[in-house]
Amino acid sequence: MSQTFPSPGLPATEPAARATGLTKAYGNGSTQVTALDEVFVEFARSRFTAVMGPSGSGKSTLMHCLAGLVPVTSGSARIGGIELSLLKERELTQLRRDKVGFVFQGFNLLPTLTALENITLPLRLAGQQPDTAWLETVIATVGLAGRLGHRPAELSGGQQQRVAVARALISRPEIIFADEPTGNLDSRSGAEILGFLRDSVRELGQTVVMVTHDPVAAAYADRVVFLADGRVVDELHEPTADRVPDRMHRFEAQDHTR
Amino acid sequence: MLRTALRNVLAHKARLAMTVLAVSLGVAFVCGTLVFADSSAAAYRAAASKNFADIAVTVTPKDPPPGATANQGTDVLDDALARKLTDVPGVALVRPSADGSATLNAADGTPLRAGRAWANLAGAYVPGKDGRDSRYPLAKGHAPRNGDELAVDSATAAAGHFGIGDEVTLATDGPVMTKRLVGIVTTKDTRVTAGGTLALFDKATAQRLFASPGNYTGIDLSAAPGTDQFTLADRVTAVLPAGRAQATSGAAQATRQATYVDTLTRGYEKLPLVFAGVSLFIGSFLIINTFTMLVSRRTREIALLRAIGATRRQVVRSVLWEAVLLGLAASATGFLLGLAIASVLPDILSTAQDTLPHGPLVIGPRPVVAALGVGVGVTVLAAWLPSRRAAKVAPIEAMRSAEQPPSTTRSRIRGVVGLVLLALGAGLLISLTGVKDASVENLQSAMFGCALLAIAMIVLAPLLAAPIIRLTGRLTGRLGITGHLARENALRDPRRTAATASALMVSTALVAGLAVIGNSTGQALDHQAAAGLGADHVISTRTPTTRIDPAAVQRVADASGVRIATAVADSTLFTGGQVRQISGIDPDTVNAVMKLDFVSGSAKDLGPGRIAVSTTIARQHGLSTGSHLNAGMGSSQDVKQYTVVGIYKDNPVAHDALGTRTEVQRNSTTPHSVQRILVRTDNGTASRTTETRLRTAVGNNPLLKVQDRAELVHEAAGTMSNLLTLMHGLLAIGAVIAALGIVNTLAMSVSERTREIGVLRAIGMDRSGIRRMIRLESVTVAAFGTLLGLAGGLFGAWAVGALANGAMEQYALVLPWGTLLLVCLVSLAISVVAAAVPARRAAALSPLAAVADT
Repeated sequence: MSQTFPSPGLPATEPAARATGLTKAYGNGSTQVTALDEVFVEFARSRFTAVMGPSGSGKSTLMHCLAGLVPVTSGSARIGGIELSLLKERELTQLRRDKVGFVFQGFNLLPTLTALENITLPLRLAGQQPDTAWLETVIATVGLAGRLGHRPAELSGGQQQRVAVARALISRPEIIFADEPTGNLDSRSGAEILGFLRDSVRELGQTVVMVTHDPVAAAYADRVVFLADGRVVDELHEPTADRVPDRMHRFEAQDHTR
Repeated sequence: MLRTALRNVLAHKARLAMTVLAVSLGVAFVCGTLVFADSSAAAYRAAASKNFADIAVTVTPKDPPPGATANQGTDVLDDALARKLTDVPGVALVRPSADGSATLNAADGTPLRAGRAWANLAGAYVPGKDGRDSRYPLAKGHAPRNGDELAVDSATAAAGHFGIGDEVTLATDGPVMTKRLVGIVTTKDTRVTAGGTLALFDKATAQRLFASPGNYTGIDLSAAPGTDQFTLADRVTAVLPAGRAQATSGAAQATRQATYVDTLTRGYEKLPLVFAGVSLFIGSFLIINTFTMLVSRRTREIALLRAIGATRRQVVRSVLWEAVLLGLAASATGFLLGLAIASVLPDILSTAQDTLPHGPLVIGPRPVVAALGVGVGVTVLAAWLPSRRAAKVAPIEAMRSAEQPPSTTRSRIRGVVGLVLLALGAGLLISLTGVKDASVENLQSAMFGCALLAIAMIVLAPLLAAPIIRLTGRLTGRLGITGHLARENALRDPRRTAATASALMVSTALVAGLAVIGNSTGQALDHQAAAGLGADHVISTRTPTTRIDPAAVQRVADASGVRIATAVADSTLFTGGQVRQISGIDPDTVNAVMKLDFVSGSAKDLGPGRIAVSTTIARQHGLSTGSHLNAGMGSSQDVKQYTVVGIYKDNPVAHDALGTRTEVQRNSTTPHSVQRILVRTDNGTASRTTETRLRTAVGNNPLLKVQDRAELVHEAAGTMSNLLTLMHGLLAIGAVIAALGIVNTLAMSVSERTREIGVLRAIGMDRSGIRRMIRLESVTVAAFGTLLGLAGGLFGAWAVGALANGAMEQYALVLPWGTLLLVCLVSLAISVVAAAVPARRAAALSPLAAVADT
């Protein structure tokens, strides 16, 4: 497990991802909805951060903006020091391919490809050969050896999500965004996946940002960022499954009394 | 259920639009053809009734001899009878005519629109009381007044580049005549306006040529106002010499002529109807496929309907109602498209030889009923299978989220059924390859075998999809991950892939099969036409009644550059209820002009009562050298016994049998003349100069053809051009419908895979990658259809060709590489074109589609 992050060439102070005054609005005129309202947040390298918040708080939008999936309305979103709003469509695609990994709630594996093919897909899209040693490391991390020839339909939900995690890890991205990765899993499989994500941070030096509304899931992170009404409202370091709901209730209560 | 169906149709407008288009294409061909037929028939009828507008009754000799040019029995209608008819009460005008046929030479000496006696009209200009012939209003010059003068109609003059005062050479049946053109008339006769010619002589000349001096071939009567045609006909019949002449009403005649011209043009309907059939057949795959996709997509919805109490029958009915609505839409658009086709068909089908009349479109009930029947019928029939599938959806499936894998038992049944059909079809075809003659029964079983084969291929296609696409996937796989994904996507639902490819498969098989057979037959005809011919030039007659007189034969033989000129008398041989063609030759010179390959015996032994026959005739009658054959020759009434002295390999120049010229001529209807002259030149080659000399030697007779070997080959291959048109038309139709099907399937696939495409975009496939992936999927499907189609088409062509092998000595399987390549390129092209829109739509999908809630 000698592979570590960050990748060389970046100042040590530069976080893996950063939002500065990030605003995202949908629609226009009277129907305009502000999903993110001048958000300032940084995601440090080799850290596991959870983003929490009630429905409509903008946590998913934040992730979409930082991952380059949707353009921002104003402010700045950066991945490893690269300003996303300056990139063209093709460059954004390339950035997602090389610097961003995704784990989705619905697994989103390609049903026609085997587990192994799904894992190496980002590399093949980039026209690269997988590094055998790294591939083995990743597969070992998520414990998929033996199921590599199977298609997603032949795997359980937990196994599918493990393939998805491996797929996110394979290109050694700057940052992995996980969108409710345990949402479709039973608690045991969910715990496994969260464990893999945490291991990838601790042992492989990966950076992971996870959007979730589950306090138990958030407790696996090093840090929890709370969002409400499109703003960062709170933050918690070294969370535990007990402290997360406390904080949630606290600002939700404030929200109600305001 | 009707309301549900309507909602569904509206919800899937775009998707169903492709299906509607495909069906309406078929409907359009059917309607277009029917409207065209009705319109042209109406135009002919209108024109014909104009011809006969002022003719109430026509008197003709009874039992008119076959062929307008024969002279027998035409001594009834003389001037005396004409005068007698003037006195019949109710007759306003009596106009005798002397009609026949004449072929003219154009100004450049080549025959003008020759070859069809029925359209090369000739007649007498018979002035009435006012000195004019009201049937032929003069446009220029004056009427022919003596045997040296001639008038033609304006269209003929234009086509032949004649002007007043020109010398025009023409022939009726015998020798060539030269007349001076003195008048140009106009005519409404449909036979002329539809691409014929008209030549008018003075009365005496026409009588001499077509009847006998002083007699007419017919007398037209117009009725006085208030006199009914039929009453007049009765009165006229009363004064006619009983049993020798008859009266026909103008109306009856108009109908007869219209029917006649109508039958001549009826053949034009065949080609568009073939297109209609093929496009409907291929289109039905598209319907089945669309409905199957819609049903499988709506499985949950249908299950829900079932769960809340809809019966199976209601589900089926809902799907079928949808099909009815779709069919109605297809019928309507198809009908409009058909009107467009009908209005351009006359221009497309008209050639310099045949001008089809242009008239207002006549829309009878026939095309309307056909449009509805075909459009709705085909759609509902095709939707029936998917509707059964919809009915099988169990209510519990509403609760399931994952799709069920296709049942393996069903694909096993499919495999067994397909293989049985394949074995039957292929077996039948292979068994036929041993048969040596192309009899109707054999051809029918060959067609049946081909049909079985086609159905087997359609049934087996979903099972063949996986192995074949894996094979083509080796190629696309080299294109990286996009190729790999394209292959896997095509393999995802083999049944859908197969159904999409079916359209291409059927059209490819048809085109490839036709191309191979056509090419092989064409080559065989080429070989055959030239094979039996030793001569460099052939002089032959255009019409069966034309004769070449001995003087002309002598002149040809004396022409400079001619080494040998052998006359051949053609006649018929009646034997065992069959009519055979016999050629009367000169045994001493025959080998110089015909390449006869005797299996046994030789031409030297020919003589009175001694004939030689071709191998086919020998086989059919069980003859061998030395055996006897009872047959009647030519016009001779009695059956004689002939001795077979030789059997030669089938030879199109020698026909079915050979006899001596003297004997054949003696029994012929034209005892002193011959039908062909085979010419061998001094230097053994054909040339323009010799051809001109030969033409001069036969007096520039427009009824005689002077051809060299190449022209003869070309003439024999002429029938192939129809096949070529058919082939290219089928290729185009197949391509259009296949493209519609591919667009349809891909659009469906893209919308089903929105999420997946979103993932690919999110994890880093760029837009061009997505486009390439969809395009490659399309190419894969098309390649599958094309490969299967080529295999089926080539096998069918081989099997049917083997049958032709028995009938045609020189037949050999010759692959038309050019056409086959064209078929492949067309498939490739349409797959790329068809993928364009779905690929663009897929590429436009946002990566967010992957994370969006479904």
